Amino acid sequence: MDLSKYAALFLTESREHLNACNRSLLEWERAPAAVEPVDRLFRAIHTIKGMAATMGYAGVAQLAHGAENLLDALRHGRVPAGPGVFQLLFRAVDTLGAAVETAAAGSEQDIDAALIAELDGAAVTPMGEGEPASPAAPEPRLRRATDAPRARPIQVIITRSAVMRGARAALVLRRAEALGAVSGVQPPLAQLERDEFDGKLFFRLQTRHSDDQIAAALRTVGDVDSLVFEEAASEGVGRGRQIRVDLRRLDALMKHVGELVVAKNRLTALSADAGDATLAELSGQIGRLVSAMQGDVLASRMTPVGEVFERFPRLARDLSRELGKRIRFDMEGEEIELDRSVLDEIGDPLLHLIRNAADHGIEPPDQRLAAGKPAEGRILLSAARERNTVALRVTDDGRGIDRGRILEKARKEGVATPDVESLTDDLLVRVLARPGFSTAQAVSGVSGRGVGVDVVMTRVRALGGTLEVRTELGRGSTFLIRVPLTLAIVRALLAESGGERYAVPLAYVAETVEFDRRAVTSVRDREALVVRDQVIPTVHLRDLVSGGAAVGAPRQPTVILEVGERRTALVVDALLGQQDIVVEPFDAPRGLPPFVGGATILADGRPALILDAAALL
Amino acid sequence: MNQTVLVCDDAIFMRTMISDILSQAGFEVVGEAESGVQAVEKYRALKPDLVTMDIVMPDMGGIEAVREICKSHPDAKILMCSAMGQQALVVEAIQAGAKDFVVKPFQPSRVLEAVQRVLA
Repeated sequence: MDLSKYAALFLTESREHLNACNRSLLEWERAPAAVEPVDRLFRAIHTIKGMAATMGYAGVAQLAHGAENLLDALRHGRVPAGPGVFQLLFRAVDTLGAAVETAAAGSEQDIDAALIAELDGAAVTPMGEGEPASPAAPEPRLRRATDAPRARPIQVIITRSAVMRGARAALVLRRAEALGAVSGVQPPLAQLERDEFDGKLFFRLQTRHSDDQIAAALRTVGDVDSLVFEEAASEGVGRGRQIRVDLRRLDALMKHVGELVVAKNRLTALSADAGDATLAELSGQIGRLVSAMQGDVLASRMTPVGEVFERFPRLARDLSRELGKRIRFDMEGEEIELDRSVLDEIGDPLLHLIRNAADHGIEPPDQRLAAGKPAEGRILLSAARERNTVALRVTDDGRGIDRGRILEKARKEGVATPDVESLTDDLLVRVLARPGFSTAQAVSGVSGRGVGVDVVMTRVRALGGTLEVRTELGRGSTFLIRVPLTLAIVRALLAESGGERYAVPLAYVAETVEFDRRAVTSVRDREALVVRDQVIPTVHLRDLVSGGAAVGAPRQPTVILEVGERRTALVVDALLGQQDIVVEPFDAPRGLPPFVGGATILADGRPALILDAAALL
Repeated sequence: MNQTVLVCDDAIFMRTMISDILSQAGFEVVGEAESGVQAVEKYRALKPDLVTMDIVMPDMGGIEAVREICKSHPDAKILMCSAMGQQALVVEAIQAGAKDFVVKPFQPSRVLEAVQRVLA
């Protein structure tokens, strides 16, 4: 039998089990007396062993067997659990992870005989317990934000006859949030916004209120048909049956739907010109079907950010040991969904930011105590849906960034002119994101040279996202990554300038106004527009593309772009309406101006450039 | 004293209709706004007990206005007025802080029910 076609499946499933191993190990380490994490760990390792043996990956199977042996001894109390054992098991899981990857790639390497011997040894003789593996390192405490008090399961059914049952369910959630911490929402919020929501809502609520109080409060929302404190049936509320699909198939499907959207847009334009009622009706019908299909494909690609988050508790644990700091790492919003393509790209930037927070942000325990803070530092990783974007925040309560020092350095490197007196958050992030910019006095091994913000910025910008920072000296910093929900199809405003057409993603359009010469003022030698008492610097698209200043009409349409709290007024020749555009993969040709973020094909079949809002600010 | 209402909608027709429904039920309509910006300004000036907010308006939409108002007054009682098919926007408005919603075409009884819930 040809097993190679199962290799991909083996890999995906093994990775899931290995992630589960890390989760269980972390949980077990926190509560060494708990039985459940050990059992889960044992089952996961056992499954990997079985799959590896079937695939003929002897090395992987042998290593898994070693770990399983030790776990069995632990499970039955033949040897006690302790820091040394945990450290060994973490190592075994890591090695197993690497072995699984190489084996599936077709080049199984020699097994780590020493590690297997160590596992076997530990299964027989208790390790020198009571003595941590690295005595200097304080024990980090890790906990998820959703721990005790117990999170109660709640099922709510919205009355069948209610209008907008999804919005009603969103109100229930809002009300629940006022009572305590909400987690595990099924179906996810994005689904509530669509009309296919079947009225059954499930979530967990961690609160000190009684069941009666909760029920009474939630029922005030109205249109609540029933409310019970029960777990969702595994095949019931909000989750149907699932199949595994190769991501490449979904990518191909997405691409085809993308092209279909372009073709549909052309058809709509043509049928409008033709003035034929039958054609118009058919084109309308096709349009609705394509829109529905587009929604389905996008929905099938939405994945909870928790999938990327799940490796971070382990990372934070390792970092705190390595750095000799005490760090509590919490996560929120794991259920927020993002398109797979965006999700795949967001892991590394987050990793950078968490490392920075642990390394440069959180102070060593003695310094924290001296500053009147608790010895244990806190890092919070959170995700939240905001408009058509997802906001990912890494917040620490560490030392914050010293603006004075950064400014000094920025002046020295010529990034800031001498007249700049203080660094706004805005300017700060631009300075930090300069390639190779570093003020770290001692270059530590963890985040390497520099703070790596440039790497984060580059990756985030490539996704059409933005990076912001808030920091307060002595209190901590927050880095905010904002990314679009999906990369593939976006709604855009079409604008014309100098005879060329440009698409501006709507996610960054605050409003459109009219450029009126009489409302123009100037701020620090830059032209600016006054819109409702707000002074917004202007950019004339014509100047950017032709290189020379062109005198436009006295009144011109203007798009107010907004990224975070920064705004700019983009003056164009004409606005051409909105359209769904398919963002084509784009290798920027040399010499392309930075404000071009991609290209697309418009309804009439002609190409247009997509403007990168962040680069215009 | 009657409870006060600020009615926000860019269509005079809708403003009139909502005002009628609410004044017949004993509310005092203390102001009207035809844009999101006006809604925010008038909210700050009038501090009404209740706000009805259209979603699509020129010069800052209703959702932005909700966000802006709730930034300084998280307990503001805002009732969204939505058309069919705007579920996604309604959900967004709720996350921004709106307390309830009604869907056009309005039935007076439905509007008053929602108002009762918001003010409860």
